[in-house]
Amino acid sequence: MDKLHMNRIITTIVLTAVFGAALAPRRVSAQGLDPTDLLKPARNTWPTYNGDYSGRRHSPLSQINQSNIQQLSLAWVLPLQSVVLKSTPLQVNGILYFTTPDNVWAADARNGRVIWHYFRESKGDHIGHRGVAMYKDWLYFETPDCHLISLEAKNGHVRWDIELADPKLGYFSTMAPLVVRDHVIAGVSGDVTDIPGFLTAIDPATGKVQWRWDTEPKPGEPGAETWPQGTDAASHGGGMTWMTGTYDPSVDLIYWGIGNPNPVLNGDIRKGDNLYTCSIVALNPNTGKLAWHFQPSPHDTHDWDAVQTPVLFDDEYNGVHRKLLAQASRNGYFFVLDRTTGEHILTSPFIPTNWAKGIDSRGEPIPNAEKEPKPDGVLVSPGSDGATNWMAPSFDPKSGLFFVSSRRIWSIFYMTADGKPEGWAGRDRNLWANSILEAIDYLTGKVRWQHELGDGEGVAGILTTDGGLLFTADNTDNLLALDPLTGKTLWHVPMNARMESSPLTYELDGRQYVLTLIGNVVYAWALPAGGRT
Amino acid sequence: MIRNTIIRNMTHLLKPVVLPALIGWALSPMSAFAVKPPPLSPEQRASIERGKAQFKSSCGFCHGDDGTGNRAPDLIRSVILNHDEDGNLLRPVIRNGRVDKGMPAFATLKDSDIADIVNFLHARAEAAEHSASVPGDYPIAKLLTGNAVAGKAYFNGAGGCAGCHSVTGDLAHIASKYAPVDLQQRMVYPAGQDRRTAKVTLPDGSIVEGQLRVADEFTIAVVDHDGWYRSWRRDTVKAEINDPLAGHRDLTAKYSNADLHNLFAYLATLK
Repeated sequence: MDKLHMNRIITTIVLTAVFGAALAPRRVSAQGLDPTDLLKPARNTWPTYNGDYSGRRHSPLSQINQSNIQQLSLAWVLPLQSVVLKSTPLQVNGILYFTTPDNVWAADARNGRVIWHYFRESKGDHIGHRGVAMYKDWLYFETPDCHLISLEAKNGHVRWDIELADPKLGYFSTMAPLVVRDHVIAGVSGDVTDIPGFLTAIDPATGKVQWRWDTEPKPGEPGAETWPQGTDAASHGGGMTWMTGTYDPSVDLIYWGIGNPNPVLNGDIRKGDNLYTCSIVALNPNTGKLAWHFQPSPHDTHDWDAVQTPVLFDDEYNGVHRKLLAQASRNGYFFVLDRTTGEHILTSPFIPTNWAKGIDSRGEPIPNAEKEPKPDGVLVSPGSDGATNWMAPSFDPKSGLFFVSSRRIWSIFYMTADGKPEGWAGRDRNLWANSILEAIDYLTGKVRWQHELGDGEGVAGILTTDGGLLFTADNTDNLLALDPLTGKTLWHVPMNARMESSPLTYELDGRQYVLTLIGNVVYAWALPAGGRT
Repeated sequence: MIRNTIIRNMTHLLKPVVLPALIGWALSPMSAFAVKPPPLSPEQRASIERGKAQFKSSCGFCHGDDGTGNRAPDLIRSVILNHDEDGNLLRPVIRNGRVDKGMPAFATLKDSDIADIVNFLHARAEAAEHSASVPGDYPIAKLLTGNAVAGKAYFNGAGGCAGCHSVTGDLAHIASKYAPVDLQQRMVYPAGQDRRTAKVTLPDGSIVEGQLRVADEFTIAVVDHDGWYRSWRRDTVKAEINDPLAGHRDLTAKYSNADLHNLFAYLATLK
């Protein structure tokens, strides 16, 4: 092809792109969500599971702040006939969308009135549900029998319904998908049986699979050497994609935490690091191609999935601009990585742990074989429920503090299997736990402050705002607002029910709302008259 | 992460999964164990036992005696077993074989033999699915790896146990009171009822003592010696909390594997 011809083609493409975009009718209705809006969410929305692509759960809203927090009161309450709410609602154009297993509700974000309720009974695991994703006028909802369903956002009518994976093999799903451009990125759950995990991108219009990234490499692929050769270990190796990942448009990579390997508590038939289980991976959102990986728990035998939110933020350190990713991982370690390259920057424990012999040159903890589950029992911290779990962390870019709902937790781990281990092949018995809200300085990994949350295992997520507030709940069921710089309590309300979800905030009609889902009730908090005096 | 039962078609062995039970798990966030299937009838047990022997003699050479694979694939994880209902998929394969894959036909097996094999395989898959637990009848032989003499020395010495406990007093016959695995767990930390007490000094100087009910940063509450619940704002009173299990918490991080198993071996002698 000659150069002139080439230039003409390029000119045609560019003109088509420019004018095509300008002339094309805006296909999103007034109530819909254009995927480009996700790049910089408006103050009046909460359009993804984590509020934005960064996973920080930090809002720039400041109408509710330290000076007026004592006036915070209820704007509305929505009690539901439901199991406990564990989802984070989306809020788009004044409508909330939230879930429990088998159920989606749309409600008026100004007053809590239910607009519609979708129910689809299913078999499968009903342990919890995190929420939906939205693309234009459509919602995306995963089910306990591992289907992905697209609903009309205006009325909850089903557009299409596809099976992501075979529920009879033990697959189910709980997560809220992530929309990146024209991709609905969906994960799967299930580690009772020895099934392989994957992440998949689905066409939002048609439900067709665009790509699938398997969490275990195929024989001959990079990473396959971390599994036994010539056995079926990798093809039954677990690695579920339980939680919603994050996305950086500037490097065009999605970041996902990957679950634990199978058999869960017995690694005898899967000697090796078992990539990409218990890993943080960076993938191309168009192709699902792996860019880099980092493994918080090589060869895990304690159910410490690494699915906690990979939180994205930037810094200037010694005059160098860096794009970072941080995770407070279930295994008790806090990690900071360069999210462009995956290069390791920092590893630091955030609770007392006893399972690692040290940190290797890659920054990954080196598991101590003496702390693997044994038939006669081994004392390990953290227990399998983890130093943290699915509760959302938060990051405040102004203070540089990473907040995590953490636990000191001890268990005795037993490897119970006789013969070839399959499934869990063992279990730990919990001894005791107490919970602490921690603020971690990402530059040093040191814990800046701790706020005791009480005995037992906390399950509340965290929201921070530019109002100088951190919202969470304690183990005696108080809803709390803390000072993020000190951890001091500024405000509390005894709710007498567990918050097993993560708070969110948005502004409507000039009034800032903080939403907390506690037990099976949605509470919307705001200042009287929106703070106007 | 968090687990639960899968959708399994075992209508011949099990009742269908009960939805209220699933909702119960959902309410219990972090420790959802797979619900135990209902107990098997004597007939079902007998069928599984016959199936085990039949499987071993007819199938074990290739698939492993327990069905987890040898020269031929692991059947417990197989798609066909997990989709099978009452042998509808397994029976034709056993009967006709898969000659193209090198599996011979077992034409001479009786229908009842095949039914027994099917029940055995489903029971094996069920066991793997419910392997996320340490059963109460976990065998003591697996736990008894320590040295009771060393355990006694630890009890009276480094462990500091004798400071609060007596093997002829509160711990007399302790090994007869608990299943072995429960004893080991309780030895490190006897969770359950809150045993903490509190002494609360009120603004007028009077003192209320009782069983602690609430102690967070806002409230202190006790059940007093008359059985009445009483609560105060935390910042209006002085409260001294006594936790008799504090020593257990402190010791948890200090046990070596050997300490743990030696001490258990010692307590296990206290029949």
